[in-house]
Amino acid sequence: MENERDVTRRDFLKTAAAVAAASALPSVGAPAILANPGPNNVVNYGMIGTGTEGCTLLKFLATIPEGRCIATCDIYPPNLKKGVETIGSNPQTYEDYRKMLERKDLDAIMVVTPLNLHAQMVTDALSAGKHVFVEKTMYFKEDEEDKIRKASEQYPKQALQVGLQRRSSLLYQVAIEMIRKGALGKVLFVRANWHRNSNWRRPVPDPKFERLINWRMYKEYSGGLFAELASHQLDVANWAFGADPISVVATGGVDYWKDGREVCDNIQAIYEYSGGRKFMWSGVLYNEHFQFEEEIMGDQGTLIITLGKGLFYREPVAKVSKAGLKENWWAGATVSKAATQEGIPIFPEHTGNGETGFVDREMLYAKRWLASMGIYKYEEPHDPWWSEMSNFMATIREGKPVIAPLEIGVADAQGVIYGNRAVETGQKVFWPNKANSKS
Amino acid sequence: MNCKLKDDNTRGAQERPCVGNSLFTIYYSPFPPHHSLFSIILLVACHLSLVTALSVATAVGGQGAENAVRYETSHESMGTVFTVAVYGRDRTFLSEVVEEAFEAVDRLDEQMSNYKPQSELSTINRTAASRPVVVEPELFHLLEISVGRSEETDGAFDITVGPLMKSWGFFRGRGRLPTQAEISQVLKGVGYQHLKLDAARRTVRFDAEGVELDLGGIAKGYAVDRAVDVLRSNGITSALVSSGMSSIYALGSPPGSHGWKITLRDPYDAHKAGDVFHLQNYSLSTSGSYEKFLKIAGKNYCHIMNPHTGWPVDNMLSALVLAPTGTDTDGRSAGFFVMGVERTRKYLAVHPNLAAVFYIPNGDPPKYKRVQLRSDSYSIPPDSIVEIDR
Repeated sequence: MENERDVTRRDFLKTAAAVAAASALPSVGAPAILANPGPNNVVNYGMIGTGTEGCTLLKFLATIPEGRCIATCDIYPPNLKKGVETIGSNPQTYEDYRKMLERKDLDAIMVVTPLNLHAQMVTDALSAGKHVFVEKTMYFKEDEEDKIRKASEQYPKQALQVGLQRRSSLLYQVAIEMIRKGALGKVLFVRANWHRNSNWRRPVPDPKFERLINWRMYKEYSGGLFAELASHQLDVANWAFGADPISVVATGGVDYWKDGREVCDNIQAIYEYSGGRKFMWSGVLYNEHFQFEEEIMGDQGTLIITLGKGLFYREPVAKVSKAGLKENWWAGATVSKAATQEGIPIFPEHTGNGETGFVDREMLYAKRWLASMGIYKYEEPHDPWWSEMSNFMATIREGKPVIAPLEIGVADAQGVIYGNRAVETGQKVFWPNKANSKS
Repeated sequence: MNCKLKDDNTRGAQERPCVGNSLFTIYYSPFPPHHSLFSIILLVACHLSLVTALSVATAVGGQGAENAVRYETSHESMGTVFTVAVYGRDRTFLSEVVEEAFEAVDRLDEQMSNYKPQSELSTINRTAASRPVVVEPELFHLLEISVGRSEETDGAFDITVGPLMKSWGFFRGRGRLPTQAEISQVLKGVGYQHLKLDAARRTVRFDAEGVELDLGGIAKGYAVDRAVDVLRSNGITSALVSSGMSSIYALGSPPGSHGWKITLRDPYDAHKAGDVFHLQNYSLSTSGSYEKFLKIAGKNYCHIMNPHTGWPVDNMLSALVLAPTGTDTDGRSAGFFVMGVERTRKYLAVHPNLAAVFYIPNGDPPKYKRVQLRSDSYSIPPDSIVEIDR
């Protein structure tokens, strides 16, 4: 009898077929949306917080005709100005987001503010009848989960999407589908890193704005590297495992940038999931050699992925079958192993016509073969940021499922909060009453 | 227990697709035909090991084991992929035995690689021109065999051909056409006569600068033999060991079968069969111009060099040798490829117990001519099977 963990060609083909539909995702927590859904309705939205992150989103939003930015809000005038310039739609500007929420013509609100403000703004926006997009991490303090959850449950027809944009990346969707269909076999370990060689500060024109601009440095507002970097990759681990963690151990410190910051610049953490599955993460601010990537390891394969690039490496595969095998071996000139040193790009960059080497040529064969079965497209059709925003609009206008809904945001926020707690206490931190059945 | 001789033959094949537009490109054929396209893609992917263990209800080595299994796995070494298929009773035991066989291959790779600067061979290449170098017994033995093959073939097989490979860009390069002046210069260091072996002291010395040893033409067959030694010493009686398809040893036969079936690929089409062999306790090796070649201005140059001229061998597609061991076959296939049919015929007149099959261009591709030869004095061991179907 065939071992259930075997990945046969048939299974892989099934995976390919399924992956072809991967962009249709997801399956979790989709609310029924909109009082007046319709593909021709333009979503009027406002953004709270038009700093660096907000303007990044606005840059992509400016090319999405399904939405129209009619309001922006920021308490820092230069940011407000920059936001208006970025979106180019002449939105009305606000310093007080509550005033902005009073507008009846606003369908949706983007919350792109410092982390400590998320929960209040999200609940206020939901209470005001708006669909809400909130940047990760969804909330700051453990007790804020209830607040957001209750508001979300109170307004089930309003979308609540968390800004975990890997959920909107076709590359990551393909990767997860490969995991779901068994291409990696039993996945027990995810390792990720987000390494930079910079002080992670933003320039401050006047010292009085230090805490406003560099809020990420201070525990009063920020969850540090866990909240700003690990959150993306923890979400990938949760997604890959189809579960939330049950515990975390972590160490960290302000070990390099002794500049008055309060959040760590050197963190190593291990999250444990049911069945001995683990996610190991490191975030450092003094070395960028490895930059950022996620490595997902199963007993039949490894995926190494990062935005825009994914490679699949096959593991030794064991098969047990009752069937006999008719031996038929082939002989010929020595087959080079050169190409075996490379992984299969599950989602490669554009393939040009300038292949010059044998490795290039072999990779081209692999790409064509995989593409022919829908394992990947030749390129990500849109930047995941764009897709994230587009998905949000589609949820509001067409009732499509929320790509990163409440539960995903909660699991992610818990990982951030408990990771920081593990660093601060030096203790292993356990998830309270963990069910671990989410996917 | 026979080796049927065939007449020369001409056959056609479908035109082989050509991919790549560079004037200077080394080509490797990507998909060995014994894998499905799927498995080849995976082979391309990884530090490859495909393991297959299939239960069989038939006897293994005459033991009649009801629960016998077939275990197959692959492992990268020596710049190619070694594959072992083995029958036995216990899958765990078989996996351990095969692992041990691969370790033996890896040890040889560590010792004999000219790609690894720390290998014993690389050390010899760096220092033997300035002083005699003491050599480990096994490597020294292989050097003696290699020099013997060079003498037998009048230098058609030559382990000093490495610098030529480099000048043509076949070593870590993408290929280039060297000038005749470059070739002439390189040829000064090419030739097995420059290799001085002292059996009493077990040393090697080069009598010229620029000499480099490259065991790529024989080490894989030798490694196949050592892997088979490991299998045998663990009581295995049915196995096949393949080194990148080019050197294969058939140990015993698969349960219920008359030898291991091995198909030689068509020189123009990796998915089309040429000769089919049934081997038991016997080896074959193949040298071919179709896997690794250099394309310059529309002309193909294969990676097998004529050590006398310094130019790639022309007008030959494939040379296959049948003999009792991998060392016997691997060291000869490249030599026969260089020598061609007529010189090989003369060679076989005085060297016993060998057979060869050549595929030679015959007009425009995909046509080629098949020539089969064997030693004038020819026999095979009583426990061997050597049969050729076509």
